[in-house]
Amino acid sequence: MEILKAENLFKSFVGTEDVVSGVSFQINEGEVVAVIGPSGSGKSTLLRCLTLLERVDHGSIFVAGKPMVTTSPTGRVTYVPEEQLRKIRLRLGMVFQNFNLFPHFSVLRNITEAPIRVAGMSPAEAESVALQLLAKIGLSDKAEAYPYQLSGGQSQRVAIARAMAMKPDILFFDEPTSALDPELTGEVLKVIRNLAAEQMTMMVVTHEMSFARDVADRVIFMDKGQIVEEGNPDTLFTTPTNDRTKAFLSNYHVNSGA
Amino acid sequence: MFLFEHGAPLLKQLSLLGAGALTTLRIFFLTLLFSLPLGLLIALARMAPQKWLNAPVKLFILVMRGTPLILQLIFFYFAPFYMLPEGLRFNISRFPTAIIAFSLNYAAYFAEIYRGGIESIPQGQYEAAAVLGFTKSQTFFRIILPQVIKRILPPISNEVITLVKDSALVQVLGISELFRVAKNEASRVFSTTPLFIAGLFYLIMNWIVTKLFEAAERKLSYYR
Repeated sequence: MEILKAENLFKSFVGTEDVVSGVSFQINEGEVVAVIGPSGSGKSTLLRCLTLLERVDHGSIFVAGKPMVTTSPTGRVTYVPEEQLRKIRLRLGMVFQNFNLFPHFSVLRNITEAPIRVAGMSPAEAESVALQLLAKIGLSDKAEAYPYQLSGGQSQRVAIARAMAMKPDILFFDEPTSALDPELTGEVLKVIRNLAAEQMTMMVVTHEMSFARDVADRVIFMDKGQIVEEGNPDTLFTTPTNDRTKAFLSNYHVNSGA
Repeated sequence: MFLFEHGAPLLKQLSLLGAGALTTLRIFFLTLLFSLPLGLLIALARMAPQKWLNAPVKLFILVMRGTPLILQLIFFYFAPFYMLPEGLRFNISRFPTAIIAFSLNYAAYFAEIYRGGIESIPQGQYEAAAVLGFTKSQTFFRIILPQVIKRILPPISNEVITLVKDSALVQVLGISELFRVAKNEASRVFSTTPLFIAGLFYLIMNWIVTKLFEAAERKLSYYR
């Protein structure tokens, strides 16, 4: 079943090259989609449009079949009213490159605050959900710690648990390991792998090619704001058809080998 | 001793100074009570994207920080009478005038401190709150403001300490606060002792203020 559908999305900013120009794709339930591409290719902007951190200039987005934003044939962009957007937002989770944990909350409260305040969960239930999630990411002993006491890898795992506590239908990752050194990257990727094994629907913007190859069901290659090529990882990584994909992947292997 | 030679028992003098100190304390607490929340509103208006809102607020902050507080005291005392057309004129009593002038003046300073604190919070905090579904007011009061308060405690304590001493300015309106009482006593008994007693009072009060802010900083040191 299709969980997210984007049609002909456009987004640009004054004075930057990071744009999205005419992107369409869909994600099915349980699917893991990796988005790769050079810096400034619009990957992060696309993710920010999908998670309502930015408003699109044109195009339509449907979440679980329901419209979030639509564009009429005359080019009029209409977002659904705020109370509906609030409901849609609850279906979408996001993990940032820089974690963005709340420094004044303990790890436990970072995870329970939104379920209690936004989703209306009882504190007891939220805490039991949080403790289960902490056990799953191997950080049960850190429940009472504060973010400054965590390593980057631990912080990112907590950020994933915080997003998962809202039980989203789809979880977006914006370069989740780019702020981490290689040693810590592994522990975060392992958590994402485990989520994939549990059929969590995910869209991951990443520079970790081997991860994309191992975990993703489908890989999207973006360049200059457009989807240049997409397909299953084995095909895309071994026999890319597009020249830009070939060039990017060859560069990438040179870089990662260095 | 000088004090007794002039027939002013020390106890009587202390009670006079005590009454002045009480007025000083009233000015201090009332000013904080009004200026701390007002400063936050002014800061939010100052940061609003709408020019019709932020431009007058910028001008207000410029005037309040750019002219002497003693002049503002005089202005607020005479303005209701001299600046209003006949028929609308009224006289305002001294003490409320002092509180209004002090609250507006300190709110302007606090506003800029709040603004500095709010703008120092990374954008990512707002974005994380937004994707988790927090409303704007939840985001501000639960996520942003607590972090702002921790960051602005040192500059706020600076202002509060200054306020203790600035309270002496209200004597320009003839209000008998501590410094005026001390000065009058000093000329009456022909001794500087009352002035030094007043000085000691300001010092003790600011010692307490300093200790309170240190305690607050310690309380918020559980995170970074």
